[in-house]
Amino acid sequence: MKAKRLFAALLALVMILALAACGETGETEGAGKGDTIRLVNGKIEVDAQLKKLAQMYEEKTGVKVEIESMGGGIDIQGTLKGYYQAGNMPDIFVNGSDADFANWDGLLADMSGEAWVADTDAAYVNKDGTVGFPYTTEAIGLAYNADILEKCGVDPATLTSPAAYEEAFAKIDAKKDELGLTAVVGYYTEPVNLYWSSGNHIFGQYLDAGLARDNTTYIDMLNDGGKLDEARFTDFAKFIDLLQQYADKNMMISGTYDQEILNFASGKYAFVTQGSWIGATMTTDDKAEYEAAGSFKCAFAPYAFQDGIDTILTNSPSWWSVYKDGNVDAAKAFLQWLTTDEAQEVLVMEAGFISPFKSCKWVANDPFAQTIADYVAAGKTSNWHWQGMKEGIAQNYTGQVFNDFAQGKLDVDGFVKTMQQVCAACYA
Amino acid sequence: MESKNSAKKVVSLVLLLLGVGLIVGALVLDFTGSKFSMRGAMLIVGIVAVLAGLYFIPSSGRHKDIINVIFLFPLLFTFCVTVIIPLVLGIFYSMTDWTGIKYTQFVGFANYAAMFKEVPFLWSLLLTILFVVFNMILVNVVAFVLALLCTSRIRGIGFFRAAYFLPNLIGGIVLGYVWQFVFNNVLIKVIGNGISLLSNTPTAFMAIIVVYIWQYAGYIMLIYINGLVTIPGEVIEAANIDGAKPLATLFRIKIPMIASTITICTFLTLTSAFKQFDVNMALTNGTGSVQNFMGSYLTNGTQMLALNIYNTAISKNSYALGQAKAVLFFIILAVVSLIQVRISNKKEVEL
Repeated sequence: MKAKRLFAALLALVMILALAACGETGETEGAGKGDTIRLVNGKIEVDAQLKKLAQMYEEKTGVKVEIESMGGGIDIQGTLKGYYQAGNMPDIFVNGSDADFANWDGLLADMSGEAWVADTDAAYVNKDGTVGFPYTTEAIGLAYNADILEKCGVDPATLTSPAAYEEAFAKIDAKKDELGLTAVVGYYTEPVNLYWSSGNHIFGQYLDAGLARDNTTYIDMLNDGGKLDEARFTDFAKFIDLLQQYADKNMMISGTYDQEILNFASGKYAFVTQGSWIGATMTTDDKAEYEAAGSFKCAFAPYAFQDGIDTILTNSPSWWSVYKDGNVDAAKAFLQWLTTDEAQEVLVMEAGFISPFKSCKWVANDPFAQTIADYVAAGKTSNWHWQGMKEGIAQNYTGQVFNDFAQGKLDVDGFVKTMQQVCAACYA
Repeated sequence: MESKNSAKKVVSLVLLLLGVGLIVGALVLDFTGSKFSMRGAMLIVGIVAVLAGLYFIPSSGRHKDIINVIFLFPLLFTFCVTVIIPLVLGIFYSMTDWTGIKYTQFVGFANYAAMFKEVPFLWSLLLTILFVVFNMILVNVVAFVLALLCTSRIRGIGFFRAAYFLPNLIGGIVLGYVWQFVFNNVLIKVIGNGISLLSNTPTAFMAIIVVYIWQYAGYIMLIYINGLVTIPGEVIEAANIDGAKPLATLFRIKIPMIASTITICTFLTLTSAFKQFDVNMALTNGTGSVQNFMGSYLTNGTQMLALNIYNTAISKNSYALGQAKAVLFFIILAVVSLIQVRISNKKEVEL
């Protein structure tokens, strides 16, 4: 009897110790965080380059940087919220829109005292201070294949009015077979996976094209109950209609992003409705086709849906923020180091970023780097106010309307009316 | 005896006090955001001390009950942590303006009121019910026919059973993307007018139903096969001797004999169709337009309830509203499950 009791007591003791030990190891792992910082990156395509930077930084300073890349359809903000609930916040993480920053209101460290702030115009600033570190610049315009335009006798500099576009499209369309083009424009509206192109980037042209960077007229209207300026939006709709007339009809409704870029890289479209990020795909995944098509020169033309529109839309697509309760000093030091020459070399030459920092002297080997630099130098850039639209508007509302327009379910007038109604519903 | 009892009392009291002290201490430390690394261990030691204290309470009459509770404790604790607490928290969050990070105010039933005023949500609800009705019938009919085929005397039955069951082993997301490719890149060339089946709401809805049946019928088929093979051979033999035709055997003997299997399969398909999410998300992600539903132009033509909840919370970043919808979803499913239990119990009594 006694032995049995003793045994039971011993067993209980072992159990307690085991449990206590479990609890402890879990805790200590987190405790030794002094010289480690964790970065959640939203551009999974540059994962390898960031890891290389992390290694360089560790060799130099001894501070370990863990890169955690997310992308390819993962909802990053949702995942971060889960991390927050679990007390597992990274020290640096990505934010891509006004709503993202609003989520973390009061939880982000102010970086306005950092040296890099004076070196860029693209930092994200709100009432908490400078809370977003810019790391690249992206541009959205009507990308074109300069070789084809030249062969058709179209001067891209004249493309600043709907009439000029109509004439240019007709000219190129006439030579389509001779040049081996499938269509004049690669315009894709598939709403399941490509809604961001139509609903965010192309819609963003309505909000900003031709306007000064600080002009918030149309985004303010939209955020005031989802209102659209009827005159401007009708002009925009007519321009979309023009794109549709000359678009690749087989692909316009359900083609994929990969097909769109591949066709443009192989020289089958003269224009494509995508932004500067496709340069990276053209020179890596689609390299063979791009070279076979003569590694043609690429540039952007403005979405000139009204006479005189001559700007493209540029901005940092997302920013890195420092979590207030994380390892703030080490994180800030790492971000500061990213603006140094050796780090910028990796970011620009290997990751293909277009540096938002004025002191950077590297120029990416990207097909669109030159055209962006030209627009920036000429001061002909507009802002990305679509980042301030209500969350989910493209995916849940506007993307589908673009698709309906492309399918012919709506005419220009119907497109305007429906878009007005759908935007109002989104903001209701 | 008396002294032993009082000694026990002291031990029990000391352990109880120590345990409660440790638990409270650990919780206070945790809620004040302390980084003291032993607080988890404190909590566990405290709980064990309380349990030991309970064990030593010298009450002869209720001792057994206490022991029972102690034995049940691990399970009750797990159940609380994984089910009860999230449920209560979820209902609480649905009445606040929670953003997934924090909440600033309590809004009562405002989210519930907003949910029923949201036309796209009502559409999702209606669509889900339609989907459930279609699938409950179609999956069961297809699965039953397949089961009949796979219990008949044709060659290569093992192959057919495996082949029909195989789609069920593929994850819904993968399957959705595979079928998306089929609809957008293969079928478009066969039926080619340049417009994929997934681009129009009615055809896209049909596409989801087809994919769902393709995925789920094999699984239900296995259950039907199991039911069919348990029918005693002599009954069917007797029917044959009496000159019953195959159809008569099917309707008069086989189907009545597997009535309970049919009930199980019906409810299985019902609940699983209600919870449809992954195929819906991968195949159409809820897109598709509806020209006029209750006076609105809708852009979520094929969005079912689970996906609507997900998109409300994640993509539109309204966690509290999504949570309110999820509570309604829970209530619907709970009612369905209760009915199912009732009916199954009744059937078993009848048999």
